[in-house]
Amino acid sequence: MSTYILMKILESTPSRYDSGIRILTLGRLDRVYNRLTSHIKRGQRVLDLGCGTGALTLYAAQKDAKVKGIDINSQMLEIAKKRISEANLSHRIDLYEMGVAELGSEESESYDVVMSGLCFSELSEDEIIYTLREAKRILKPRGLVLIADEVTPKSLSKRLINWLIKFPLVIFTHLITQTTTNTVKNLPEKINKAGFLIDSIKLNKIENFIELVGKKP
Amino acid sequence: MNLIKYFVLNTIETLLRVFPFPCKTGLIKMGNPGTNSPVFLTCNYHLAVERVKRALKGIDCYLLVANSRGINVWCAATGGLFTNHDIISVLKTSGIEGLVDHRKVILPQLAATGIEARTIKKKTGWNVIWGPVYAKDIPAFIKNKFKKTPKMRGVEFPWMQRTEMAVAWAFPISIIAAIAVIPFWPETIFLLILLVWGLACLIFLAFPIYSHRLNSERKRIGFIFFDFGRGGFNLFIWIFFILALILYSILAGDFTWGSILRWGFISLIAILIISLDLMGSTPTYKSGLHEDRLLKVILDETKCNGAGFCDQVCPRDCYRVNRKEQIATMPRVGRCVQCGACIVQCPFNALYFMNPKGEIIPPETIRKFKLNLIGKRLTQTEGK
Ligand SMILES: C[S@@+](CC[C@H](N)C(=O)[O-])C[C@H]1O[C@@H](n2cnc3c(N)ncnc32)[C@H](O)[C@@H]1O
Ligand code: SF4
Ligand code: SF4
Repeated sequence: MSTYILMKILESTPSRYDSGIRILTLGRLDRVYNRLTSHIKRGQRVLDLGCGTGALTLYAAQKDAKVKGIDINSQMLEIAKKRISEANLSHRIDLYEMGVAELGSEESESYDVVMSGLCFSELSEDEIIYTLREAKRILKPRGLVLIADEVTPKSLSKRLINWLIKFPLVIFTHLITQTTTNTVKNLPEKINKAGFLIDSIKLNKIENFIELVGKKP
Repeated sequence: MNLIKYFVLNTIETLLRVFPFPCKTGLIKMGNPGTNSPVFLTCNYHLAVERVKRALKGIDCYLLVANSRGINVWCAATGGLFTNHDIISVLKTSGIEGLVDHRKVILPQLAATGIEARTIKKKTGWNVIWGPVYAKDIPAFIKNKFKKTPKMRGVEFPWMQRTEMAVAWAFPISIIAAIAVIPFWPETIFLLILLVWGLACLIFLAFPIYSHRLNSERKRIGFIFFDFGRGGFNLFIWIFFILALILYSILAGDFTWGSILRWGFISLIAILIISLDLMGSTPTYKSGLHEDRLLKVILDETKCNGAGFCDQVCPRDCYRVNRKEQIATMPRVGRCVQCGACIVQCPFNALYFMNPKGEIIPPETIRKFKLNLIGKRLTQTEGK
């Protein structure tokens, strides 16, 4: 899963992002997104944070939900728009160029689900705390948060393994795109602290990738 | 102790200047700030944050550090890595809104190439004030009631900065060169490093002597010559160097054509690499590699109402604003470095770029599409 760092390279050339990410993840991401969106019910209102080229967004729309996707990268959004219209799902998806920091403008208790794929790892600590707080506010009671992302493993040995696999990639992406992706630290704790109950957590073997389902009480 | 730490960090990061150096984003309290204290904002390039902190010493205020991916303000903003979103994010998520009563944030002026004051205002309610270009001017800026003097608006290329750029180029090049010769010519490492550093210093320190010859509009002579062909002066430096070398080897008594040839060749390569993007390394010239250098800023007098935003953000003092007649003029348009800041900020879209073919690049394009590393806006490729 450490290959997710390479998506940084892909992101800097959005038009290549989709084909690239499919190769890199060998279809794993598809399975993850499919599983995650299985919690979405027909007709629900869903918000996708950092929707990028719309991978997760499309899964949600296929569940007959009404989805709003937000992202700060206008070029990624252009591609998402194209993909969505090709999938004939334009009527169920609205895209906006806006960051998570603008969630303050969303109405309280207006969503059934707030979800995010690989976006939290790109946020700063402040942004994560803010986003979770706002997510809680805009969710209806018993609404869900669905998150799939790279996380920092808890155990030292796994952190070490993870780091060893990742290090060359980090250098490589840094040289090419001059950016690095981070991993999210203590995500379950942060979710709890924001006032959510945790429904389920699924970690992969080296514990660097999480699928999390949380619920607003 | 702190001073030593600052000095050491400063040195290390100057050596590695061409690489990004990110640091933590968020809110920093300086002194004992209250609800009326000024709010400054800078990028998360570590050296920049340290410099601003130093300048703010003894001033009670808040400092916001926004995400620029560890790159300096000007490059990041012009290259689309320091955007409205990064500013909005730190204003909204750092908690600053609960700490001050006012809604005024002071941004470094060079961020104006990428950050739109109007968008920030519309989305957050915060008013952007364009602060001085250099952090060192901040105390004087505060004393002057948050108004900039023309000097605080201009970019210069003083000897301090020239030395820094020389070091920034020489360090990575000498390391790569050293590694390259280790396997087959190890005894020259020391000389080689000396050579690269010497040439870099010569080229950058001699900048004022030949800078008036640099002309970003003139055509390049062939691709590999880069600034070399246009500046021409680097060639003089090289000839000068070779003559010195010949003189030295004659005096030292071991003159051979072979060694002159070898060192002549190596130094030529070194000069070529150092001058690869000489103008791009200076703040007072547009990079010779960027196509934007051929653009001209055009002022549409029918749209201009003399609001003077252009004048506030131009780092080359190209504008004169006549408030009585409510119009701006560009008496010093020749100094323009095509940064685009004025165009991005003009609220009435009275400014735009024109390329040599006479085609217009409208303000929306300049706001939306930023320059990439080799100085191309993505418009053409993303158009389809
Ligand atoms: C790795 S992509 C994931 C895209 C998509 N969810 C997927 O799985 O294909 C992460 C996205 O998060 C976006 N992003 C980063 N910071 C953001 C922020 N503060 N607000 C909104 N989106 C953000 C980036 O622009 C990028 O498109
Ligand atoms: S060009 Fe634009 S910013 Fe400058 S004075 Fe005229 S209207 Fe104002
Ligand atoms: S006039 Fe030229 S140098 Fe001045 S702000 Fe505009 S583009 Fe930049």
